[in-house]
Amino acid sequence: MSALLEMTGVRKRYGGVQALDGASLTAVRGEVHALLGPNGSGKSTLDKTLAGTVVPDSGEIRIDGAEARIGGPRDAHALGIAAVYQQLSVVGDLTVTQNVVLGLEPARRLGFLDHRAARVRAATALERFAAAFSGRLPLDRPAASLGPGEQQIVEVAKALAREPRVLVLDEATASLHKEQVEVLFEVVRELRAAGVLVVFTSHRLDEVFALCDRATVLRNGRTVATVDLSSTTEDALVQLMVAAPAQTPVETPDAPQGASRHVEAPVSGRTAESGAVALVVRGLTTDRLRDVSFTVRAGEVLGLGGLQGQGQSELLLALFGAARITAGDALLDGKALPLTSPARAARAGVALVPGDRARQGMFASRPIQENLSLASMRRRARLKLALSAAAERRAARSMVERLSIKIGSLNDPVATLSGGNQQKVVIGKWLLDQPRVVLLDDPAKGVDVAAKEEIYAIVRGLAAEGAVVILNSSDNRELTELSDRVLVLFEGAVAEELTAASITENRLVSSALRLAPGETL
Amino acid sequence: MSGTFSLRGVRLPAVQLSGAATVGMLVVAVIVNSALQPNFWSGYALTSNFATFVPLVAIAVGQTIVVLSGGIDLSLGAQVTLASVVAVRVVDGQLDRLPQAVAAALGVGLVCGALNGLVVALVRLQPIVATFATSFVFSGLALVVLPTPGGSVPLEVTTAYRAAVLGLPVALLAILGLALLWWALRRHRVLRHVYAVGGDPEAAYASLVPVARTRVSAYVLGGLFAALAALAVLANTGSGDPFVGNELTLASVAAVVIGGTSLAGGRGGAGGSMLGAIVLALVTNIVFFADVPTTYRQLVNGAVIILALALAGIPALQKRRPAA
Repeated sequence: MSALLEMTGVRKRYGGVQALDGASLTAVRGEVHALLGPNGSGKSTLDKTLAGTVVPDSGEIRIDGAEARIGGPRDAHALGIAAVYQQLSVVGDLTVTQNVVLGLEPARRLGFLDHRAARVRAATALERFAAAFSGRLPLDRPAASLGPGEQQIVEVAKALAREPRVLVLDEATASLHKEQVEVLFEVVRELRAAGVLVVFTSHRLDEVFALCDRATVLRNGRTVATVDLSSTTEDALVQLMVAAPAQTPVETPDAPQGASRHVEAPVSGRTAESGAVALVVRGLTTDRLRDVSFTVRAGEVLGLGGLQGQGQSELLLALFGAARITAGDALLDGKALPLTSPARAARAGVALVPGDRARQGMFASRPIQENLSLASMRRRARLKLALSAAAERRAARSMVERLSIKIGSLNDPVATLSGGNQQKVVIGKWLLDQPRVVLLDDPAKGVDVAAKEEIYAIVRGLAAEGAVVILNSSDNRELTELSDRVLVLFEGAVAEELTAASITENRLVSSALRLAPGETL
Repeated sequence: MSGTFSLRGVRLPAVQLSGAATVGMLVVAVIVNSALQPNFWSGYALTSNFATFVPLVAIAVGQTIVVLSGGIDLSLGAQVTLASVVAVRVVDGQLDRLPQAVAAALGVGLVCGALNGLVVALVRLQPIVATFATSFVFSGLALVVLPTPGGSVPLEVTTAYRAAVLGLPVALLAILGLALLWWALRRHRVLRHVYAVGGDPEAAYASLVPVARTRVSAYVLGGLFAALAALAVLANTGSGDPFVGNELTLASVAAVVIGGTSLAGGRGGAGGSMLGAIVLALVTNIVFFADVPTTYRQLVNGAVIILALALAGIPALQKRRPAA
């Protein structure tokens, strides 16, 4: 059978990150094709290039053999492609009917809306999901009043109402209950029988095996392999996602990293188990966290793993006093940690290096000296009022030397530095405040390899000096290299704790992936 | 990205007032006003009150549409000024030139709105800055067209404006006409897209809504309602004034907030804004009839508007946004 969809050599760069680096995907009519890969492998970006919400830098897309130019969602629609996004495209203030027909509203003359036709179309699309709604179809309710799973169903119905030849489902099951998943799968099977190509992205491998015919595995923005799922095992798929099969014999999967980790071990403070427990977190609960409890010793690096968006960033924000906490508390050296505002948390000795460096970590157009000095100004202010420029310069200078930040002048804007050096400024800003607890949210994301190593050295150095370090990372290798322990989070709760020898990339991936929905409840 | 969080934790609080509170303010304003203004309920007073309401009601509808789309138009008052002075120059006291004058005013609104829309949607300047800047362009042009107050509107127009049809003041009918216009727009695709773009521009884009075109349309509709306001101003005052629209801009934003439309966009409607506009006009009336000395009138007016806005803000503080 000739391919319905052929994507070859697709590249996309976001700033310093090469999200897609020559990815390819070939799929046929009447197929459910899984798109798999670890965090940041480019699955979602590839989905989006197909749906037109991301325009690739280069690459070729062919539909039915003809070259297709997809410059926006409307082009994709004209080609018969509809997408269901990981990030919902439901407008909460519109009703369910209005959402299903959004962008393609049936209209009478002069663009006046045809409400009856809209209702019919929405009802037809939602009817197949009737079982997923308890009771009647909520056609006239505002979408925001529905539960997350129901909103996701509305999103799927919206895509189906466009009668696509190619349906892209990007993590469409993530917020669904088990029953809703079954309804969705039934619909997907009907579509397959009708000759529709369904591109299915999910991190739940059991779903992939239950539903899909073939799978294409991405790693670091490249296509690693396309496999027939009927002749593949879960272990083999995980292997494909983690490392290149050529370099890694299946028997000793992570030998290279494991070896390097043992070399690093003494440096990373893995002997810190002897340190006293410094931070105790008890039952921390917010709207994104469920009853998170753990302890960290002084001089220990605690990693946060799991799929992205399972509450890792929220946990760091909560400990920094930047989230609304509904239950639970934290003790630092036996004293209650104020979790009500970042300023109070900072005063109590907590520092956060945020995940979004550009927006939350620095003042890009302000001088390096000012950025470094900002978080610790009160330590240098005389009578809490006057700030001496000389003291500020001395402090900034000391940090530039300590972290070997490569700068021209202290008066240059931070924006003139490379990504790695910018991140060092963000970290240095907090080190000047001499924190007891350092929270790092993906500190090495989007920096080059050399800078990564330097940031790792800083993290190890902090632990060696006796700080409590909590590190969230989307890079599993980073977690294996730096962490003494790793908490794997799933849907806001601690799903598993990995210690010492069990911190391997394989364990991290399988621990994050193999949780069945609801299993951790 | 669904996995990242803002350090501020919450979005810009969507200041929004429930319908009941808007109606409540209206009732209070009417009661106070009827206690202070002699013969408030007499035919003459009602007619002249409604006559002064129309411009603010019209401009409030225009501002609502722009705010719903996620923007704001600080040049609407200047557009009223420009459209009114152009129209008064065109009509020049002659009734037979009325159609051209109406067309000229609407044309001015259309062009001004299109300009704002292009600057905001295509050049992507912040609406608050872009429209503040264009307001000076429009005011400046108005001064060129009519340097000093003057020009005249045909007597038939001003007379008809204060007349009554079947016992209903023409100005009240004009307000009902504006409501009808809003009712029709609500049933049009453009307004549906305005709500979608204001509610969630990325979702709207992914859903095939033409986002940039919708934004431009919102500003054009805003300009057209400003032109209608300009015509009402002329019919009410009978002559042109190159400063007449100055105070209308802020009042239109205040009317939108009092009327319960979210300044974050995507939620609300012009019905509430029309009531909000009437509340504001009544407040001006009350200040006048309460014998507040002339020098204090603006101060009191401003204070009352702040009070109304504060009342509008408090329920939003108490009510947390449901997790979307």
